[in-house]
Amino acid sequence: MNFWSGLGVAALAVLLLTWIIPTYGGRGFAVGMHPRTLATLGAWVMLACALALALLSAIALLRRRLAFFRLPELGHLWHQTWPFLFVLGFIVLVDRFPLTWVAPFMIGSLLLLLGERRWHVVLLTAVIPALGLYGLTAHLMRIGVV
Amino acid sequence: MIGFDAILSSFAAALHYESIAIILGGVLLGYIVGVIPGLNRAVAIAIAIPLTFYMSAYAAIAFLIGLSKGTAAGSAVSAILLNTPGEPSSAATCLDGFPMARAGKPRKALKVGLLASVVGDLLATLLLIAVAIPFASVALKFGPYELAAILIFALVFIAGMAGGSFLKGLAAGGMGVILGTVGLDPETGAARLTFGYAELMEGVPILPLVIGTLALAEMFVQLDEYRRNKGASVIKLSHDKADDLSFQEFKATLPTVFKSTGVGAFVGALPGLGPSVGAFMAYGLAKRSAKDPDSFGKGNPNGIAAAEAADNAVIPASYIPLFGLGIPGSVSAALLVGAFMIHGIQVGPLMLRDHPEMLFTLFSGMIVASLLMLAVGWYGLRIFAKVTSVPPHIVIPVVIFLCLAGIQVQGYGTFGLVTVFAFAIFGYFLKKFDYSFVTFLVAFIVTPMLEMNLRQAVILSGGDIAILLNRPIALAFVVFTALMALHLGWSGYRQWRQKRLEASGN
Repeated sequence: MNFWSGLGVAALAVLLLTWIIPTYGGRGFAVGMHPRTLATLGAWVMLACALALALLSAIALLRRRLAFFRLPELGHLWHQTWPFLFVLGFIVLVDRFPLTWVAPFMIGSLLLLLGERRWHVVLLTAVIPALGLYGLTAHLMRIGVV
Repeated sequence: MIGFDAILSSFAAALHYESIAIILGGVLLGYIVGVIPGLNRAVAIAIAIPLTFYMSAYAAIAFLIGLSKGTAAGSAVSAILLNTPGEPSSAATCLDGFPMARAGKPRKALKVGLLASVVGDLLATLLLIAVAIPFASVALKFGPYELAAILIFALVFIAGMAGGSFLKGLAAGGMGVILGTVGLDPETGAARLTFGYAELMEGVPILPLVIGTLALAEMFVQLDEYRRNKGASVIKLSHDKADDLSFQEFKATLPTVFKSTGVGAFVGALPGLGPSVGAFMAYGLAKRSAKDPDSFGKGNPNGIAAAEAADNAVIPASYIPLFGLGIPGSVSAALLVGAFMIHGIQVGPLMLRDHPEMLFTLFSGMIVASLLMLAVGWYGLRIFAKVTSVPPHIVIPVVIFLCLAGIQVQGYGTFGLVTVFAFAIFGYFLKKFDYSFVTFLVAFIVTPMLEMNLRQAVILSGGDIAILLNRPIALAFVVFTALMALHLGWSGYRQWRQKRLEASGN
């Protein structure tokens, strides 16, 4: 875990140092400190620490003769991924329809996916927060904030 | 400096019924969140920040402080009745709380926990008031050299002390610094890391960042854990008279409460250590100094008192570096800085100069919150005991909805929703791979201040580093930072070598 996370962070730091910060980090004349200086410093800290972490973990793995790479179990991977896909799908829906319409559907379907089968619990849990949001939005519109 | 009349008027403002109602709302909500396992203080504050947008600055901060205090006290309820801490810092409370509840004394255990929480919190709040103001008065005399050196020291200190690997802590801090520089450069006006998005001109919006990395990411972690931990049994409260806490029983725990408050306040004042360290340190100290150490872990009320007093003392004490120097030492303090920023107030020593009335009203509000915590906890004991039975599969969808609704209501639109989602993925990986979230968030929050002070220091010195010799405080902090980094690096290396030797021995 440490080895791969270290490598991942180091790769990100290299990307930041070689492309993202030089291209998008800001240009122009500055007295004293350049706009890119602090971000570059942060990326160097990331790179140094991540490389050290990956190196130390690699030595530990070699000494214990453990595998560097293990394929995760597909079922476990799917279990970790579906909540992200669910929320992403919900964000796509919210982009097209009002949140107060989508919310009961989102809460209710997630409850069903998590194994809740009592209809009154599903109904109440899905509707009450959406009604609360509707009330809050209506109030904010009435006082002219939204 | 603020006069006696102003202090009195600040207390009067804190005791106004509107103020009390707002703090009560915060404490109540905090209690409920604290009682529900899986929801923690950071999640609660992140979700509540959008609610405070339409409040006055004082009301918003008082509400969030009430919430923060409420979660600390509430988390003991699930630790005692469910053996599942509402907050990680209440894990020490489980050690004696659950055995005591299982032995038929749940009410007694809850009341010991509540009273220790309130005493610890109140004493640490008084300490904060006594220490923060002289601290801030001294800090006001600091120039950019001193402030830059102190901020760098604090970041390295937090990276080392926040738990987990020092290397991971520093890497997370580096990421926070990079994200903290996003937006228009204050000196040149150059757009930095905005990728052409106008929404990023003022920097990464703090609300999607905290909601994504703290609340939404936590729900993804909870969903992952929910599969493994289904169905825990709750101990029910009885009406048995023998289960009531007598004054003598409470009095016997007072020495432990006072000692543990001292431990908690000390740990809280040091940035990065957090309430879990404070609670376990105090528990260990109480056990070592007890006449009957063997009774600890089997339902000793002093164990509950030690853990709860220290846990609750850490929170007000963690505001000492915040109000004194502007350095948030914990996640909840960093979130408070975010809330202050949203309301256009720069928290730190300048608050003493620019908004002294607000500072004193907040301090008064904190004392009111401590007292309300007692009332809410005492009279709501049975209701909160029932709240512990709310299953996580009901809590998780509602919290996910609240996260997204908070962003929508603030008018961030699709950009905000995508940002919150991106930060949720980022936060999920931080948690899964154990990168210090505190260091990341604190680095993100203090980067604008660090950059401004560094820039001023570079300009004033003309690039001559020898100027530090004329600034002893700044020089001392530079030396402390170097020593601290060397010490943390060396102890990390020794631990790694120890593990290697153990592995080769096996």
